[in-house]
Amino acid sequence: MEGKPSGFPPMDPPFPFGGAPPARGPRDPRFGASFYMRFHYNGGMTDAVLSCRNITKSFHRTLIPVRHLQERIIVGRRKKTQWSVNAVDDVSLRLAPGEWIGLSGPNGCGKTTLLRVLAGLLVPDLGSVERNATFSCFFELGVGFHEEHTAAENVRMHAMLWGVDFAAMRSMADAVRAFAGIGDHWNLPLKCYSTGMRHRLGFAVSTAVPGDVLLLDEIFAVGDAAFQVQCWERLFALKRLGHSAVMVSHRTGDLERICDRVFSMNGGKIVQEKTIAPITA
Amino acid sequence: MRSYIRVLISNYTVRQMARIVWTVGWSDFFLKYRGSVLGYLWSLLAPLAKFLVIYYVFRPFVSDAIPYYSLYLFLGIIVWEHFTVTTTHCMSVLHEKAAFVQKLPFPRILLIFIVGWTNLIIFLTHLIIFAVFVVVTGKGFPVQWVFVPLILFHMTILALGVGMILSAYCLKYRDIPHLWSIATQVLFWLTPITYAYRLEVPLLATIRRMPEMIRGPALHNLFDVFVQFQPLSLVMYDLRRITLYPKELGTPSLEHLLGMTVVFLAIFCIGAVIFKKRSRHFVQEY
Repeated sequence: MEGKPSGFPPMDPPFPFGGAPPARGPRDPRFGASFYMRFHYNGGMTDAVLSCRNITKSFHRTLIPVRHLQERIIVGRRKKTQWSVNAVDDVSLRLAPGEWIGLSGPNGCGKTTLLRVLAGLLVPDLGSVERNATFSCFFELGVGFHEEHTAAENVRMHAMLWGVDFAAMRSMADAVRAFAGIGDHWNLPLKCYSTGMRHRLGFAVSTAVPGDVLLLDEIFAVGDAAFQVQCWERLFALKRLGHSAVMVSHRTGDLERICDRVFSMNGGKIVQEKTIAPITA
Repeated sequence: MRSYIRVLISNYTVRQMARIVWTVGWSDFFLKYRGSVLGYLWSLLAPLAKFLVIYYVFRPFVSDAIPYYSLYLFLGIIVWEHFTVTTTHCMSVLHEKAAFVQKLPFPRILLIFIVGWTNLIIFLTHLIIFAVFVVVTGKGFPVQWVFVPLILFHMTILALGVGMILSAYCLKYRDIPHLWSIATQVLFWLTPITYAYRLEVPLLATIRRMPEMIRGPALHNLFDVFVQFQPLSLVMYDLRRITLYPKELGTPSLEHLLGMTVVFLAIFCIGAVIFKKRSRHFVQEY
C-alpha cells in the first residue's frame, strides 16, 4: 500500500469504501477468504469464461397441490409437509477458454439443474456463478419455434431472440437451410414437418448462432445416422473455432469423444473427474 | 442465505431488445387472427356487443346529462377493454410463452413489453374506429387530439404496471387470474364508463376536498372517493375531455399531465421492480 508504512495493519478493510480488490494477483493476507469470495477472486489464474463456486440448489414442493392466494390470506403462512431434494450439492467448476466439459450421470443426478444454474435460468440457493463471455444455451431444440410460422420466419425469429443483427441474418438463414436439408419444406408452416425434420432444423438453428460459451443439454439425440455425422462435424468445427462448452448427456461415450474433461455426477455431487485431453493452450 | 449471483451479462443491446418487442408483438397480433374468417373483426365483437347493450339500456337515463353519449360510452369501453385484456394477457403470456421462460435466459420483462405492444396495436385500431365514429357524428377533431399519444402512454404503463404485479405472483398463486377476473367485474362498475363523471379542475382542488367527502361513514361515500380518484377514471376523463369536450372541460394543464405521468410511472416502476425480483424464480414455479 502506498503512503503507509509497511507492515502497518489496516484499521478497516477498504471494502466498501476503497473499491474492490484487484481481480487478479496475489491475495492480500490481511483479508479473509470470505472477503474475496464477494468479488469472485479466481486465485490469480487465467480468466475463466465461466466459473461457479459452491453451487447448491434444492427444490421444494408441497405434496398437496394447493397454492392459492385465498388460502394464503385465510390460513396464513403455515408450514406444510414438503418434499425436498438437493439437486445440486456444493459443486464448483471452471471452464477455461476453448475447453469442453462434459457432465454425465444417471437421471436425476442434477446435471441439467447445474446447467440451468450456469445459464442463469435458476437462482442457486448458495454459491456464485461468474460469466465472462457471451453464451448460448440449448435446453431444447427449437425454442421459440411457432407451429404456424414457416421455417424461414422461425429462423428469423430465433436469430432475433439470440441477438443476431440484420446483416448476419440473411447469411445465417442460408446456412441453416443448407445444413438442415429440409428442401421444399422451407416455406411451409412448421406443423407440416416430421419430428426428425424439426429436430434437424432446431439443431441447425441452435448451432448457427453460437456465443463464446455453449451450454448444451442432450444435444446428441438428433436425426438419423447421416445427420448424426453432420452434427458431429459441426460440433468439432465449433470446438476448432475456439468456442467453449459445457455438455450434458447420459451417454458418457459421446461426451468422451469431444470433451476435454468429463465429470460424473451422482446425487448432486461430482463423484469423478476424467481428463481426456489436458488443456494445452 | 444470500447467494451472490452476478447480474447476467446480457447478450442484448437496447436496440435488439426493442426489435424483439416490435417483431414478436406484431407477429402475435397477426397470429391471433390468422385463419379465422372474420379475422381481426373478432377483436371488435366483445366491445361492440357490450357497447350496444349498455347503450340501449342506459341511454334513456343519461343521454340528457352527457352530450355525445354514444361516443362517450364507446371510448370508455375500448379503454376498459384495453386495460382488462392487457392485465389478463400479462398473466397468460407466462403460459403461452412457457418455452421462452424456461429455456431462454433473456430478460423476462420483454414478455411484458411484448404484451403491451400487441395490445397497444389493437387499441390503436379501435381508436381509428372511434375516429370514424367521430367523423360520422360530425364532431370534428379539435387541436387537443395532440395529447392523445401521451394519454395512450399513461394507459399502457398503467395497465402494464398492474399486469406485472399480477403476473409476478400468478405462477406462485394459481388462483390470481380468477380473483382478478372477479375484481375486474366489480371494477367495471366502479369506473365511469357508463355514467357521468366530473372532476374539478385542477385535480388538486378535488383532492383537497377528499377529507370532507369521506366524512360520512356511509359506504357510498367511500365508493365515491374511489371512483373519483382511481387511475382508470382519470385516464378516461383525460382522454374524453381532449377528444370530445375540449371546450366545455378545458385542456389538461401542464402540471396535471406531468403529475399524472409521474404517478403512472411510479405504478409502472413498482410493478417492474416486483416483477424483476420475482421473475428469477419463474422457472421452478411451473
